Amino acid sequence: MRISSFAGASALALVLSSGAFAQEASLDLVEPIAEYKIYVSENVAKLVEDTTAFVAAVKAGEVDKAKALFAPTRVSYEAIEPIAELFSDLDVAIDSRADDYEKAEADPEFPGFHRIEYGLWEKNSTEGLEPVADKLLADVKELESRIASLTFPPEKVVGGAAVLMEEVAATKISGEEDRYSHTDLWDFRGNFDGARKIVELVRPLIADKEADFLKTVDANFDTVDTTLLKYKDGDGYVTYDKLSEDDRKVLAAAVNTLAEDLSTLRGKLGLD
Amino acid sequence: MSSLDSQRGGAPSSRLVTIALVGAAVLALLGGGAFYLASQKAARPVEAGVIAVRVGAKACEPMDLTVPAGRSVFEIENASDRPIEWEILDGVMVVEERENIAPGFKSQLAARLKPGSYDITCGLLSNPRGKLTVTASAHSEAEKAKPPLKAFIGPLSEYKVYLALQSGQMARSAGTLTAAVKAGDVAAALAAYADARTAYRHVEAVSGRIADIENAIDPVAAYLSGREQDPAFIGFHRIEFGLWKQNATDGLEPFADRLAADATTLRDRLKALKFEPADLAGNASREARRLAEGPVISGDNLYAGDDLAEFAAAVDGLDKPVSLLLPLVSEASPDTAKAVTEAFAATRADIASHAGAATYADVPADARKTLAASFDALAAAIDRINPALGLE
Repeated sequence: MRISSFAGASALALVLSSGAFAQEASLDLVEPIAEYKIYVSENVAKLVEDTTAFVAAVKAGEVDKAKALFAPTRVSYEAIEPIAELFSDLDVAIDSRADDYEKAEADPEFPGFHRIEYGLWEKNSTEGLEPVADKLLADVKELESRIASLTFPPEKVVGGAAVLMEEVAATKISGEEDRYSHTDLWDFRGNFDGARKIVELVRPLIADKEADFLKTVDANFDTVDTTLLKYKDGDGYVTYDKLSEDDRKVLAAAVNTLAEDLSTLRGKLGLD
Repeated sequence: MSSLDSQRGGAPSSRLVTIALVGAAVLALLGGGAFYLASQKAARPVEAGVIAVRVGAKACEPMDLTVPAGRSVFEIENASDRPIEWEILDGVMVVEERENIAPGFKSQLAARLKPGSYDITCGLLSNPRGKLTVTASAHSEAEKAKPPLKAFIGPLSEYKVYLALQSGQMARSAGTLTAAVKAGDVAAALAAYADARTAYRHVEAVSGRIADIENAIDPVAAYLSGREQDPAFIGFHRIEFGLWKQNATDGLEPFADRLAADATTLRDRLKALKFEPADLAGNASREARRLAEGPVISGDNLYAGDDLAEFAAAVDGLDKPVSLLLPLVSEASPDTAKAVTEAFAATRADIASHAGAATYADVPADARKTLAASFDALAAAIDRINPALGLE
């Protein structure tokens, strides 16, 4: 009774805002959102573990080791970005780019992963990075603690699949994100896995009604997967400049279509 | 369907995505950065009903915005010479954002906003932030007293995560307990027993309602005809009896094995449970009353005597689902939120006031009655939540 009266009250608003195919947000979302929180919690635990090792290498002045750990450490951050970037202060502290600062790379405020990336690759040195590294580790630990106490907003989780693909379109296809190390394909992998996880979690809720949609999404995910596989190198990926122009186009087309398709997921689940 | 209707927060506008899709072949030729730029709008006039925000090198224009509660569409123009990110912030939390708007381009963002004061970012991190004021509407006021179903998805999910973590912890501690019993290590068994019990108390508001599991995990001798010698005397208290009364692990192995298996079953059963919004406060108040009627008066842990520590853990277990609803309750009925918060504090204080008691046997009957009254008052306060949220 309770639920049907909810449905009645919000039906009109949903039709008005989302068009004729509007769905009601359903309590069936509870389990996928809970599973997603567990996924994010595991990833942020891995991020803390990996960042600890990365920071230790930076502080020990081990440039080569720090370079080797940079990209794998970032993968778990990129996978959970829809949640991680909800905390604006930590997102800035952990993952902002030089463009966000008045004096760009020379700005003393420029922090986080990309500040260390700049030092390691452009200066081939860990000089002056010690406080930046300490702060980075403190910030990822703070992220872990905030995630633990965060009630995940369902629309941010479901919308996260599209956000991740838009992130790839905006910052990876262009090679903007990891501009000093060119390790963008690792981040790409993290974003991609994070998006696919969200789709897998909500799949049972839309499998019957949205079979065609899922087929298209799966095909594009598979295209991205197959293309990335060609650039696999050991546990990770070759640098972004090794990506052929043809494959860059294939990835761009698949990612763009995924971003557009997945942006309808919120509406399909009554969360717009 | 208008173009606005099909947009969502954080997504490129549908029109441009369509252009991008139709022009996939063209895009493929453009490749790289050009692909990304094509997903944004070149500057053009602002549509009716859309709130325009121009971000310059040093500030937003305007720096002060006021919109009614509900859905608003913003069009952000990057008039600076660097790519920008535009965010609506509630404290440090991002409510909505658009990333990587290229210089000279515009990007739309749809946001469903609750009444309140927000900040907006304006380019460089060192630039001052603007203000966004969202005023109450008839609809937003009505939603306070009767939040939509989707407002409960987050709290219900978070409670399921809590149950999964706590029951997982209980299963792990029960495994540790079994290993300690097999090794004949009484000290390790006592520590693992306490850990498992704490986790169990955290989930008891729900697990106590699964009768078969409850009878296997938590029967007390007082309810069994043969008391401690009854074959149905298994689970936690049978192990407690052995560890405290006999100060030994002898003969406890089958009970520990069974408890570890039942703890795993409990974890799986909790995972499969489905809840409705009214269950969060409903289960908590029912459990508070059950504690008041039975365990607080007569004590559950007759051999260990550590009931007070377990009552404290039980209060934490009641606080979890209630705290998940409190943000909604605070908006719907600040008085109710205050009463609930105070009742939790009073119950905790009452438990803490007996900190000097070495065992629960030292807490006399009248003091137990007072503590039971605290739990009853807590239940009564929690009972106000569902009506306040339009759940009854």
